[in-house]
Amino acid sequence: MNTSYEPPNQPPVPNPASLPLGQGPGENEPIARPTQAIEAMLRQPRRLVHQLRQGAGGKLIGQMVGLGIVCAAIYGVVVGMFSGGTQLWAAPVKLAFGMLAAGMICLPSLYIFACLAGSRARLVEVAGVVSGLVLLMTLLLIGFAPVAWVFSQSTNSVVAMGFLHLLFGVVALIFGMRFLSQGFKWMETQFNAGLKVWMIIFTLVVIQMTTALRPIVGTADTFLPKEKKFFLAHWFDQINGDGKLARALED
Amino acid sequence: MADSSPNTRHPLDQIPELLAARAETVRAWLTEPLTRRLGVQVAIIVLGAGVYGATLGLWRSPLQALFVAIKFPLILLLTTTFNALLNGMLAQLLGLQVRFMDSFRLILMSFATAALILASFSPLTLFALWNAPPLADASAAASDVYSGILLMHVLAIATAGVAANIKLLQTVKSLSGDTVRARLVLFSWLAGNLFLGSQFVWNLRPFIGAPYLPVEFFRPTAFQGNFFEAVLVALRHLFTS
Repeated sequence: MNTSYEPPNQPPVPNPASLPLGQGPGENEPIARPTQAIEAMLRQPRRLVHQLRQGAGGKLIGQMVGLGIVCAAIYGVVVGMFSGGTQLWAAPVKLAFGMLAAGMICLPSLYIFACLAGSRARLVEVAGVVSGLVLLMTLLLIGFAPVAWVFSQSTNSVVAMGFLHLLFGVVALIFGMRFLSQGFKWMETQFNAGLKVWMIIFTLVVIQMTTALRPIVGTADTFLPKEKKFFLAHWFDQINGDGKLARALED
Repeated sequence: MADSSPNTRHPLDQIPELLAARAETVRAWLTEPLTRRLGVQVAIIVLGAGVYGATLGLWRSPLQALFVAIKFPLILLLTTTFNALLNGMLAQLLGLQVRFMDSFRLILMSFATAALILASFSPLTLFALWNAPPLADASAAASDVYSGILLMHVLAIATAGVAANIKLLQTVKSLSGDTVRARLVLFSWLAGNLFLGSQFVWNLRPFIGAPYLPVEFFRPTAFQGNFFEAVLVALRHLFTS
């Protein structure tokens, strides 16, 4: 006698990621509060993108931008703790402004590249995806904040701390870009070469912003730099300066 | 019931359609009277290329920015107009089954696409200028920055040109149904437009403007010689010095 159990024929459960936007579980639930926006960004990014397409984009974008500013400011306080003094308020202001400005500077080109890729997404939806990118990046930076604080208490090197923050920023950027590319895929837009070029542009703008708004990690006499520089020149100057300082301390 | 016919739509609604350049949209546009979209596309070129041109000249001075904001769209419009006859003939000779004026429309659409891309790059180029030392700064570092800014503009203009021409190639391909023919038509248009466009660029120089020369709309030598003579002279200097 055959005693083996045969499960009844059930239809296969579809992968939510393969369903059209709005047909996955919970994707139609509106996002009313900022905490829901954070939860959706981390756990249900499809819900966030779907809500952006439902005509409630303006309010949701406002929430994401507000949260992004707050998160960037919190991480900025941790960055400012390395130098203390005025940097405790200057670093948060600069980081929050820098992230917002980078998003706004790059938004027009992203919209144009999306249209070139055949996207039917409206400007407000593209702005929503950029806000999501900034929110995810700043949320991840908050996750890194305790680690950054521990390191900031054990070194005096501006270059070392700058490199560490850059590393955290790059990791956050990678996740942010993943959200962006998925977001466009869900909005039925082919993520083509133009959008990849935009990723490079956004990365360069974010990095240059840290140089344009320097000092963020170290200290200076003025709030903004007196000398205009591009980030590579600034990095080389900092590395050379730090090397000279280290040699002087050894002597 | 709301009337959603194309006649009542806002002119700005044409922008995503122009950028996407879907075959059915372009075909529909080509059946309309010429004047229907001409104004919007010329306005896009004037504003889009004008805004980008302003960021090109702004490093030198606000007056230079104004001059380049006028000159940059002028190059695109003059090239399209002066080559309209030739481009129309080439299209027909190479077997593209479109009316004479349709070649003009397709090239104008392509330039409008490039102008939109350039306009979207304007915040980026402005940000780069904000980070650059003044143009009058003659230090070695500033010289590197000058090359960097120049390279950035070359890349931006090249990106806009390449993207616009890829779209134009797709459109021509969809109209002709033949990839080889579409490429031939595009390359013939490109050759003619680059040949004439380079001369207009030469006539209308300066764009960034050297800091030791006065700000002016035309250089005194604007209509002496031509772009290709200048290239030959430069090559001769390179190999004989």
